[in-house]
Amino acid sequence: MILEVNGLEAGYGVSTVLHGIDLAVQEGEGVVVLGPNGHGKTTLLRTISGLNRPRAGSLRFDGVDVTGWRADQIAEAGLVHIPQGDLLFREMTVEDNLLMGAYVKPTWGERQERLARVYELLPTLKDRRKQLANSLSGGERRMVAIGRGLMAEARLLMVDEPSLGLAPVIIAQVYERIQAIKESGLAVLLADENADHIEQLADRVVLLESGLFVREGPAETLLADEALLSAYLG
Amino acid sequence: MNDLVQVVWSGILSGSVYGLMAIGLTLIWGAVRLLNLAHGSLYVAGAYAGWTVINVAGLPLALAIPSAVLAAAALGLVMHALFLRPMLGRPGWDSASIIATVGIGIALQAAALLMFGPRVKQIPAVAPGSFVVGTVRFSYQGLVVIAVAVVALTLLYLFLRSSRQGMAIRAVSQEMDASALMGVPVERTYALVMMISAGLAGLAGVLLSSIFFLSPTSGFTPMIIALLVTIFGGLGSVKGTIVAAYLIGFFEAAVQVFVGPRFALPGLFLFMIAVLIVRPNGLYGVPEAQRL
Repeated sequence: MILEVNGLEAGYGVSTVLHGIDLAVQEGEGVVVLGPNGHGKTTLLRTISGLNRPRAGSLRFDGVDVTGWRADQIAEAGLVHIPQGDLLFREMTVEDNLLMGAYVKPTWGERQERLARVYELLPTLKDRRKQLANSLSGGERRMVAIGRGLMAEARLLMVDEPSLGLAPVIIAQVYERIQAIKESGLAVLLADENADHIEQLADRVVLLESGLFVREGPAETLLADEALLSAYLG
Repeated sequence: MNDLVQVVWSGILSGSVYGLMAIGLTLIWGAVRLLNLAHGSLYVAGAYAGWTVINVAGLPLALAIPSAVLAAAALGLVMHALFLRPMLGRPGWDSASIIATVGIGIALQAAALLMFGPRVKQIPAVAPGSFVVGTVRFSYQGLVVIAVAVVALTLLYLFLRSSRQGMAIRAVSQEMDASALMGVPVERTYALVMMISAGLAGLAGVLLSSIFFLSPTSGFTPMIIALLVTIFGGLGSVKGTIVAAYLIGFFEAAVQVFVGPRFALPGLFLFMIAVLIVRPNGLYGVPEAQRL
């Protein structure tokens, strides 16, 4: 088990967003959290990666209790979170952005090899490598965010709404890349607003509504149930 | 010809002095958004640490400079741990941190007054003496100041551009959450910036107190100059600060030589006002929160 979430509660100020989430991700598994906007997907990922503090519940990552750890400690343990809105280092070049993905100590020593590998996987980034991140298009930024995540020695990849704000042609490419990463054996936990692109990627799907998991099951079963999906996702 | 040599020499020397004073201030602003008004007191603290090493401990001058850097950096770390860390990320950071640094500055000044008294002291020059070419007098200490400034500024620039920690400092200044997701310990990085910035203030203090005098309040003028240079170069831009320091140095020297010494300051301020009207964010300034 790479990730185990038990009874997780989190929120902002006086409002509670997550009301007790239980979730487990196996090694190499693809899990997709589906839910409409504003129901806690981003909060769930941010709490798992340590950007938000959990109010209750526990987190185990790779067999270690990481409840209450800081985000940089959890990242060092091998959890890679590609956040919503990409959060690139705007005034840094594409290459420097990618290099930051290898910040963690043992990884830093292999940064050139990793860089070459990421350029191989995402060749557009190589052409843009001297460009500042804030001069890129939305699709290129998403690719940088994914590439930056791949620079790390990941045990689990979390991606928050990879299709957000992108043109349809580019969306297909982005999912293709994530799909390839999953097929290389890495566990992927993905949050999404609709079920349009996840069929290949998902082994298991959970439906999140109002901060609670309302349905959970194998991807084939849940994604085939169109009545259920349209009821929850509209 | 002599005039031109004089302008170049004075310009490079003043530029190095201004650059040394300003670089720590711009670094901490760029990385943490902290306008550190205790910077002048850290400058003085470094100078007194150097003075103590020479005059109380009786050690050679060569040890005074690293001691000054270390003492100021240690003070910077204490400042970070006791006062700034508890305020980081809280609402009202901008005004609260400025007020805190003013208080820390005054406290340090008072401590210096108690420990060393109000009398003016001087730190001996690393390299005393001078030589004359034509009509221009070159001091050896001036050469040392220039060399140290150029080396320190270059090292800082390279450190920020391509080292692991330096890149982390830039990353934290641009996108805090993403930095943490890359594994960068944000608070420790802030502490590191504070130490480097304070260490640079200490270096300026010990080096320049052999050219200027040293008293508990003698950090004030360098800090004001540092502020001017930093704003002129574009707050938070390391490159802008370096360019601004030398530009101001050369401009001042040129006015002094070709127009007359009493026009140097008014001329300099007119020049700065004119540039800031055209470029309100300074030479290399970027509007809003895009720094370093």
